[in-house]
Amino acid sequence: MTLNNEEISRYSRHLTLPEVGMGGQLKLKEAKILMVGAGGLGSPLGMYLGAVGIGKLGIVDFDVVDHTNLHRQIAHAASDEGRPKVHSLRDTILAGNSNIEIDVHNTRLDRENVMELFEQYDVIADGSDNFETRYLINDAAYFTKKPLVSASIFRFHGQITIFDPDSGGPCYRCLYSEPPPAALVPS
Amino acid sequence: MLPGVVGLIQATEVIKLILDNGVPLKGRLLLYDAMKMNFKEVSVSKDPECALCGISATITELIDYTKFCDAKPVTSAQEEFNSESFELSPFEFKTALEYDPTAVLIDVREQYEWEICHIDGARLIPTSSFDPKSSGLSKESSIYLYCYKGQRSIMALKELWKAGYTNLKNLKGGIDLWAEDIDPDMPQY
Ligand SMILES: [Zn+2]
Repeated sequence: MTLNNEEISRYSRHLTLPEVGMGGQLKLKEAKILMVGAGGLGSPLGMYLGAVGIGKLGIVDFDVVDHTNLHRQIAHAASDEGRPKVHSLRDTILAGNSNIEIDVHNTRLDRENVMELFEQYDVIADGSDNFETRYLINDAAYFTKKPLVSASIFRFHGQITIFDPDSGGPCYRCLYSEPPPAALVPS
Repeated sequence: MLPGVVGLIQATEVIKLILDNGVPLKGRLLLYDAMKMNFKEVSVSKDPECALCGISATITELIDYTKFCDAKPVTSAQEEFNSESFELSPFEFKTALEYDPTAVLIDVREQYEWEICHIDGARLIPTSSFDPKSSGLSKESSIYLYCYKGQRSIMALKELWKAGYTNLKNLKGGIDLWAEDIDPDMPQY
């Protein structure tokens, strides 16, 4: 894999950073990341992963853009109301960087589709908004041995960690063996 | 704006994993409080008894997640009192509190202990004057109890349980373990 001249110019500030360099930029280009959720977390996550030059991004979400999403789900414009969030986020990312390959999955993640989907990617980023999905993602990431970068928000609190039980770390269930009594989470 | 901050940290961690550079947020849970505008880091480790990744794991394939998330532990008055069934680790306790709209947090330590430290949002009902009848606590709410080490609160919890309260939780290890696991700024005494 190589970078074309447009990419070399686009990523030049990366290429001159010893922490990234040509080797690192190629790693980013080879990387395949699956994001679950194209809402509040997925918007900035996808926009930045696209901008820095991740080669392949998968986006899973089944929701459509609603007027009440616009104040925080910044990838979606007012003109996107009613469109699937995965399409709106894809277009926003591609408008900034058309070198990225984006696979959209306009569907709800469930136990029928999760394993096959996870197998195609290197890292899973969970920006989902409910406990059912969070446990599903955790278990599927464990079974497919994929590192899981997990983020969640509630009211004015946020939590971020990496679950990678394959390398000795905890999984989501190590922290939360049971879902909270009232599983209420806003998107 | 909160999701922006959190989503960007998430993106940073994804990129670090791909570059295999820097110190990844593994075994560490980063907590962000937008109102207080602070970050806290707590270390998290593998639970050897984890149902998924523990030594004797019971989950060996994907399960029914709707059912799993709907099933709440029910405590019936006929059951034997089993203090362990009410206990939550500091993490579980904190999460349950945040997500439970009917949560009421009760500190059963004494006034002088309360003055040293307490968990935000708690109400003080010392065990020395603890009486379910005069407590004013509703049986409709979920009652979360804590003390210093978890012993006094389980006694108070048992009193409530005998009085017919069913939705009860006890902070395992008390505020002492809470300070260690959740709030490193909290004094321990
Ligand atoms: Zn685990």
